[in-house]
Amino acid sequence: YKERGTVLAEDQIVQMSKQLETFKSNLEEFASKHKQEIRKNSQFRVQFQEMCATIGVDPLASGKGFWSEMLGVGDFYYELGVQIIEVCLALKHRNGGLITLDELHQRVLKGRGKYAQDVSQDDLVRAIKKLKAMGSGFGMIPVGGSYLVQSVPAELNMDHTVVLQLAEDHLLKEGLAWLDSQAAGEPQYWLPALFSELSSRDVTPEEANQMTP
Amino acid sequence: MSFEWPWQYNFPPFFTLQPNADTRQKQLEAWCSLALSYCRHHKLYTLDVMEAQESPMFNNKKIERKLSMEAIQIVFEELRKKGNLEWLDKNKLRCLVMWRRPEEWGKLIYQWVSKNGMVNSVFTLYELSNGDDTQGEEFHGLEEWMLLRSLQALQTDGRAEIISMDDGKGVKFF
Repeated sequence: YKERGTVLAEDQIVQMSKQLETFKSNLEEFASKHKQEIRKNSQFRVQFQEMCATIGVDPLASGKGFWSEMLGVGDFYYELGVQIIEVCLALKHRNGGLITLDELHQRVLKGRGKYAQDVSQDDLVRAIKKLKAMGSGFGMIPVGGSYLVQSVPAELNMDHTVVLQLAEDHLLKEGLAWLDSQAAGEPQYWLPALFSELSSRDVTPEEANQMTP
Repeated sequence: MSFEWPWQYNFPPFFTLQPNADTRQKQLEAWCSLALSYCRHHKLYTLDVMEAQESPMFNNKKIERKLSMEAIQIVFEELRKKGNLEWLDKNKLRCLVMWRRPEEWGKLIYQWVSKNGMVNSVFTLYELSNGDDTQGEEFHGLEEWMLLRSLQALQTDGRAEIISMDDGKGVKFF
């Protein structure tokens, strides 16, 4: 009985492998046909990425190699990564290295101009994950349904459900948060980076220097 | 023209003395600047500390935040160190606010005097601060103690001499 069981299992494995191979080669064919689409259409990119994820393929795994050459997908995300770094560096003096994903998105779009490719927030998140993996001091903190993008390697050790309430030692020490002891109930912590009045106005460098160390 | 509040005024933590030393430094600088601008706008030359705590300057009713007495004293101490404030009493309940320092006032007054070709004339203090001729000048309405210090600054510079007259003081410009 044992032998038969082993034979069956082996069969199944061979079957599965064949199916996987077929699937993979279909995917490759699909990808090459739709290379243009991938570059131009962010919605398409999301779906493509999800498809790859289900079979354990990371199109961004290597700068050279099939995916990057066939699709130029890697280039797209690496270029985006550079843009993200530029925006964060330019604003660091204002927001101490913390920016909302929304604001980052707006500024990246502005920087790309009218005729450039469409970039979605999903694209940004993936590019940032890449940056993070390369050890460039980037991180993302989930906040109320979206993210805060952190471009300064400060020690932010926090439970993602309480970002705005607590992380006092780290955030206060780093000078990223301000204490508000007159709030109803418990003391609260505010991040100038999230204070909408601050980020929506054009603050002069002198004014900005006043608020962040 | 109504007073333009700096954006920090609507940021609730601005009214809590910050524990982080660097942040607190920035905060105090912003408060000093706000206090001086407010006094300048409203032409306030003296402040009563108790009243100040309830005034819009340190109390933003819209966001329900105000500076504590302790924080106000710290802001005032900063202003004093910078030469913009002087205590009138030992208990630190009333102070003079010099949003413009005496030397700066002196310079403005002298400019007006020389521009109008009135060097070598004698003025009473009242004429300078409240006369028709000085209507529209920034130093019009200057309180006497401040005017006196400004003239003293000019005197030290050799550009004026304060003289005693029958019913008060006067000044001659050189």
